Amino acid sequence: MSMSAWIIVGDQPTVGNLITVARSLGGPVGAVVAGPRSVAETVAASGVDRVVWCRAPGDVPAEACAPAVADVVAADPPRVVLSGRNPSERVLLGAAAARLGAAVVTGARSVAIDGGDVIVVNAVFGDIADETVAVSGPVALLLDGGPVPPADRGGAPIEEVSATPLQLKVIETRMHDFDQVDLNSAHRVIGVGRGLKAKEDLAMMEELAQALEAEIACSRPVAEGLNWMGKDRYIGSSGAHIAPQLYLTVGISGQLQHMVGVTGAETIVAINSDPKAAVFQQTDYGLVGDLYQLVPAIIAALK
Amino acid sequence: MDFELSDEQQLIRDAVREFAEAEVAPIAAELDRDHRFPTELLPRLAEMNLMGMPYPEKVGGAGADYLSYVIAIEELSRACASTSVVVSAHSSLATWPVFKFGTEAQHERYLHDMASGRRLGAFALTEPAAGTDAAAGTTTATLHADGYALNGSKMFITNAPYAEVYIVFAKTDPERGARGMSAFIVEKDTPGFSVGEAEHKLGIRGSSTPPVYFSDCRVPKEALLGVEGDGFKIAMATLDGGRIGIAAQALGIAQAALDASVAYAKERVQFGKPIAALQAIQWMIADMATEIDASRLLVYRAASFLDNGRPYSTEGAMAKLFASETATRVAGKAIQIHGGYGYTESYPVERNYRDAKITEIYEGTSEVQRMVIARSALR
Amino acid sequence: MRIVVTYKWTCDPEEATVRADGTVDWSRAKPGISTYDPVAMELARRLADAAGAELIGLTAGGKGVGTPIAAKAALSRGLDRVVIIEDESLREAGRSELAAVLAAAVRRIGDVDLVVTGDSSVDVAAKMVPTVLAGELGWPAVAEVTAVTGQAGALRVERAIPGGVQVLEISGSAVLAASADAAVPHVPGMKELLAAGKKPVDRLELTALDVPARSAVMTVTGRARPERKARKSQLIDTSDPAAAAAELVTALRVAGAL
Repeated sequence: MSMSAWIIVGDQPTVGNLITVARSLGGPVGAVVAGPRSVAETVAASGVDRVVWCRAPGDVPAEACAPAVADVVAADPPRVVLSGRNPSERVLLGAAAARLGAAVVTGARSVAIDGGDVIVVNAVFGDIADETVAVSGPVALLLDGGPVPPADRGGAPIEEVSATPLQLKVIETRMHDFDQVDLNSAHRVIGVGRGLKAKEDLAMMEELAQALEAEIACSRPVAEGLNWMGKDRYIGSSGAHIAPQLYLTVGISGQLQHMVGVTGAETIVAINSDPKAAVFQQTDYGLVGDLYQLVPAIIAALK
Repeated sequence: MDFELSDEQQLIRDAVREFAEAEVAPIAAELDRDHRFPTELLPRLAEMNLMGMPYPEKVGGAGADYLSYVIAIEELSRACASTSVVVSAHSSLATWPVFKFGTEAQHERYLHDMASGRRLGAFALTEPAAGTDAAAGTTTATLHADGYALNGSKMFITNAPYAEVYIVFAKTDPERGARGMSAFIVEKDTPGFSVGEAEHKLGIRGSSTPPVYFSDCRVPKEALLGVEGDGFKIAMATLDGGRIGIAAQALGIAQAALDASVAYAKERVQFGKPIAALQAIQWMIADMATEIDASRLLVYRAASFLDNGRPYSTEGAMAKLFASETATRVAGKAIQIHGGYGYTESYPVERNYRDAKITEIYEGTSEVQRMVIARSALR
Repeated sequence: MRIVVTYKWTCDPEEATVRADGTVDWSRAKPGISTYDPVAMELARRLADAAGAELIGLTAGGKGVGTPIAAKAALSRGLDRVVIIEDESLREAGRSELAAVLAAAVRRIGDVDLVVTGDSSVDVAAKMVPTVLAGELGWPAVAEVTAVTGQAGALRVERAIPGGVQVLEISGSAVLAASADAAVPHVPGMKELLAAGKKPVDRLELTALDVPARSAVMTVTGRARPERKARKSQLIDTSDPAAAAAELVTALRVAGAL
C-alpha cells in the first residue's frame, strides 16, 4: 500500500486535525510515531491505515529519531507529510522534508490534490494575505495538530522499527508550577495582556475565567518576557491558534502577531484603556476604560 | 552634495534610538516631575560608549565622527532633553578642553576616565554676575608655593554635584580682564570646593545645575590647563563646539514635539474626522516639519565642517540660533495642536515646550549667536 | 570551536500593506535584522566567549541582503565575520530551498560544530528553516532552546517543553533554534557599531554552492486579501462600569457566546 499522506507524531497523540486533513486528500494515510508506545496505540486506534513506531533505546528525546522517521517516510514517499506545531514534531517534519526534497508550507487554510499537484491556500506574512500555491512534488505541511483522535472502528497494526538515535540524551526534566492547558478545546478564552500591572492581578482574571467558564490565555510578552504563564498559553503567530465561541481580551493592544491567533473566534471582546489600541479594529464589542473597574463589574454582572 | 548619512551614522541613529526608547523615554516624565538627576543611566550611557563618542579609542572614546555624536545627542534629546544635556555637557564642555589642551599627564589622569564615562565632568564658567559677559568673572586663582588657591562662586553648573571633574575658569590676573583668565581641572573632593542648593528650573528639570563655591580651594600647579592667561580662549573654543551639541538637543526636542503632534492629529476626532484632515492643522504640521528639516541641515552641516577640519564657528552659531528658536516655536505649535490636553501633564508636549526655551540661552544666548553671525556676514 | 549563527535581513509585515488584489506592498517598510535573530546572536556570542570559539554569521536571500549596511548591522552584534549568499533567485525561495542553501553554505564553511538560529523570522514566521536545515545536514536539531553551555562535542542544552524545561546533552554537531526569550539582546554600543565595518565579509556565489536539486516545485497561482470575519466594531460606553458590564453580558447572551 503506498501512502498518499504520512502523519508524523511525537510525544503527544494530539493529531486529530492532521488525520482529518490527511483523510480529505483521499488515499491511504500512515502515521510514524517517535514517542512512547502508548501514543502509537492511540494513533493506531484512530483509523489510520498504517502505523510505524520508532523504538529508541534509553532516555532520548523524540528529536533523536529524526533520521529514522525520515527513513520510514522516504521508503514510501507520500504526496503530503504532515505534523503538528510542537517543537519536536517540527524537527521530525524538517528531517522528513529534507529527505523528500519537499516544499514546506506552514499556514495552510485548505489543502487539496488536483491532478498531479497539491493545491494549498496558505496564509502568509503574519496572515495579512493569502497565497494559493500549486506544488508538483511532495509537500510538508505544518498544521495545528488538533485534539487526541477518538478511537475508530478497526485499528492498524503497529509496525515496530528499531531507531538508531542521534547523539541526544535527556539529562534532566524540570516541570513548572504552571498548569498545562488545552486552549484548542476551550469554548471561551480570556486573553491577558500587558495592560495588567501586576502578577497578583491574575487572581482577578481567574475569577473572571471562572465566572465565564473560560480558559486563560495571554499575549506573548506575558508568557515569555514576564513569565506569568506557561508558554502553552500564549496566542499568536508562533503560539496557539484558537477559534473559540468567545475571546475576551483584557489589556491587550491587539498587534498583528497576537490577533492572528484568534481570527477564527466567533465573538471577540476587548477591554483596553487606550482608545487608539489596534485591538479595537478587530472586535465585536469594545470597552475603552479601566480594566480594574470593568473586570470586577463584568464578574458581578455574570453572577 | 551628498545628503545621505553613512552606514555607520544610520546604524548609530537606530541604536541610540532603540536605547533611548527602551531605557530613557520611560523615565523622562518622572525625571522632569521629580527634578531628578538620572544617576542610573550613567553606567548605561558609558556602556553604550556615548560619553566620549568623538574621542579616539586609544584615549577611551568611541572614535566616532562629530556628526555621529550630534545624531546621538539628537536621539537622546528626542527621548529626554535632561539626559542629553548630561551627556553633551560632559562630552563637549568638560572632556573636550582636557582632550585639546591637556598635557600627557592630564590625559593620563583624567581623559581616559572621562572619555569612557567612568568619571563625569562639568564646565564651570558662568558666575552670578558673569553670563554672556564671561570675562567679567570674579573668581580668582592666586599662585602660592604649592599651587593655586581658588576663591569665588560659579552658577548653573550642569552635572554638579554628580560630576567628579570640573573645568573651572578663574582669574590668575584680575587686572587683565579676559586675558587674565586661566583654566583649571578641579576634582570634586578637593577641600574648599562645595556645591550649593539645587536650582529649580522651568525645564530640563532632570539636569542638575546648582552653584559651586570655592573657598580657599587649593589645587596643585598641575591642575592648570594650558598656560596662565589661556582660560578665556579655552572657554570660547569649547563653547564653539558645545553649541553644536545644544543645537542637536534643540533639534531632538523639536522632533519629539512634531512626532507627538502628528500622532495626536491622526487620532483626535472633531467635527466627525481626525483633525489631521483640517487644513489649519496640516499647514502647522507642514511649517513645523520644514523648520525642523532646515534646523537639521544646519546642525549636520556644522558638524560635518568640524569633521572635515573646516572652520565652523559661524555655521555652529547659525545652527544653534535657528534650531533653538525653531524648537521653541515648534513646541508652542505642538501644544496648540493638542489643544487643552497639550496644556496638561498627560501629554509630553508641555515638557518639550519647557525644555526648549533653555536652548536659546545657554552655551551662548541667541544674541551672542547673532553677534557671531553678523561679524562674519559683515566682513 | 566554530559556531554559525544564521540571520535574516528583511522587513516587518506590520509596515507592509496589502493591495486589493492580494499582493503585498513592502515599499514603506524599512529592512533590518529579523526581530528574534539578535537573541540567537546574543546566545551564540556568550557561548563563543566561554568556549573561545569563532562566531560566524550566515545569511542567504535576494538582492539587498548583502549591502554594506546589512552586513554591518549583523557584524555589530558580536559576530567575528559574516558569510553572505546574495542572489535574486532566492527572494521568493521557499523554506526548504532556503534551508538547503544554508546547509550547503555550512558545509562550505567547514568544521562547523554548531548552528544557532533565531526562533522564527519576523516576516514568514514558519519555524521550519532550522529543522529542515538540520535534516539537510543530518544533524540533531532542538528548538525552543533557552540556554546552551559547553564545548564542541559536549553541549548541554536547556529547552522549553510543554509545562517545563528539559536539559539535553548533545555530542556532535547540532542545530539549535533559540527561543525568543532565551536572552535579552543588548543594543550595540558605539564602539561595536564602528568596528563592524572592519570585520570580514565573505560572499558565496549561489551557483558555486553544491545545492541538491529540489524534488518539489512550488508555484504561486493566486493571491488574495484574506477573508476576515466581519466584526461588529461596537463600542460600549464605559462611563458607568456596572451598566457597561450589564450591556456586554446581555449582548454576549444574545450572540450565543455565553
